[in-house]
Amino acid sequence: MRNFLTIIFLIPLTVHPQSSSFDFHSPENVKKFADHLFCEEDYLRAIEQYELINQKMDNDTIKFKVMLGYSELGFFSESNDFFRGINDKSIFYPDAYLLSFKNQLISEPGLIIAPSIISFNAFQMKSFCKLINISMLYEDKFNISKENFIAPFDAEELNSVSTFYDYKVEPPYKSPALAGLLSAVIPGSGKMYVGEWGDGITALVVTSLFAFLAYDNFHADHTTRAWIFTGLGAFFYAGNIYGSVASAQIFNARIDFDFNNGLELFLKQQNYFLPDYDFCE
Amino acid sequence: MENLKWRKSDISYEKQIHFSKRDYSFQSENAGEFITKSLANAYWFFISDVDGDNCPFRPTCSAFLLQSAKETNIFQASLMFFDRFTRDMNIAKGHDHYPRVSAGYYYDPPQNYTLNQGRIKYLPPAFIVDDE
Repeated sequence: MRNFLTIIFLIPLTVHPQSSSFDFHSPENVKKFADHLFCEEDYLRAIEQYELINQKMDNDTIKFKVMLGYSELGFFSESNDFFRGINDKSIFYPDAYLLSFKNQLISEPGLIIAPSIISFNAFQMKSFCKLINISMLYEDKFNISKENFIAPFDAEELNSVSTFYDYKVEPPYKSPALAGLLSAVIPGSGKMYVGEWGDGITALVVTSLFAFLAYDNFHADHTTRAWIFTGLGAFFYAGNIYGSVASAQIFNARIDFDFNNGLELFLKQQNYFLPDYDFCE
Repeated sequence: MENLKWRKSDISYEKQIHFSKRDYSFQSENAGEFITKSLANAYWFFISDVDGDNCPFRPTCSAFLLQSAKETNIFQASLMFFDRFTRDMNIAKGHDHYPRVSAGYYYDPPQNYTLNQGRIKYLPPAFIVDDE
């Protein structure tokens, strides 16, 4: 009797989940599942689910979330493709507009040209101005006054932004020509000028050594050996001048690298001046 | 997108020895390359293969000369080589500003020394380059 009752009790449990009355694939349920994946930051699968229902539901929230998801995954052109699908009357349009600027700044760093003026609230307008000003730092031609450049930024951002401005206006480059000239006068001094002291001292020692050996052998009438040392010394001397110019160029490339890296880090820390969108509360 | 999904990765634990990848052929496109290849082949055969793997850089100094001759001309390649040789001999062993390859050698490609600013690919010292 007890077994019979157990079976009677279990049958509904096994049958009910398989019943066709519950449609897992209805757009509403797919959206719920996609929302759950999105909140779990599983953007890849969330986007797959959202794209299944995007055509059927035509919902700007879904489009914006797909755009956000693609951006988080690093698919910036796909993200911007979804921006074009968002209705310009939608409440998400200004945020999507700013997000498209962020995508552009990451994928193709350069001056942002706003295709149209739209109505922003005060925070969005500030973010917009900050992004435009920051994008100017990626351009070769940079002629904006410091006051205008730092104007849209908040007090806690001013220090970093001011440093970026100063670096852009007067980057602490080393002159390749001066490095070469210094090494031509005193071997190795060009390397020391760009901060490579070990290489500079080595170049000075090696070139001086070969010069002394050449002089000494000429002095002792060992002409063949003297010419070999002269040749080697000349190559080390010329190679050092060449290397000093190259080192200054590499030093300048490092300055550019540090500048771009620092700027990227700063923008990531500030989330590109965009708010944290929370769809999971 | 598909590449982001989890899937089995084929990992090889074989250690690559750069000696085995050496190309001793004399194939060259011009006289400069032929001269540098001859010098490098002679150095590899009589000295380097016997002496062992001592160059702290990748590409090694001899490979740097060959690649420099391919990138530029024999005169510029010679200057690049003598500069590299000086840096190799650094009496203070000040090599810490170079990035490294995964095997631990310092990565110093000739492309950074052609005096063409656009070709310089600066990598920070902490960076690990995947291949040699």
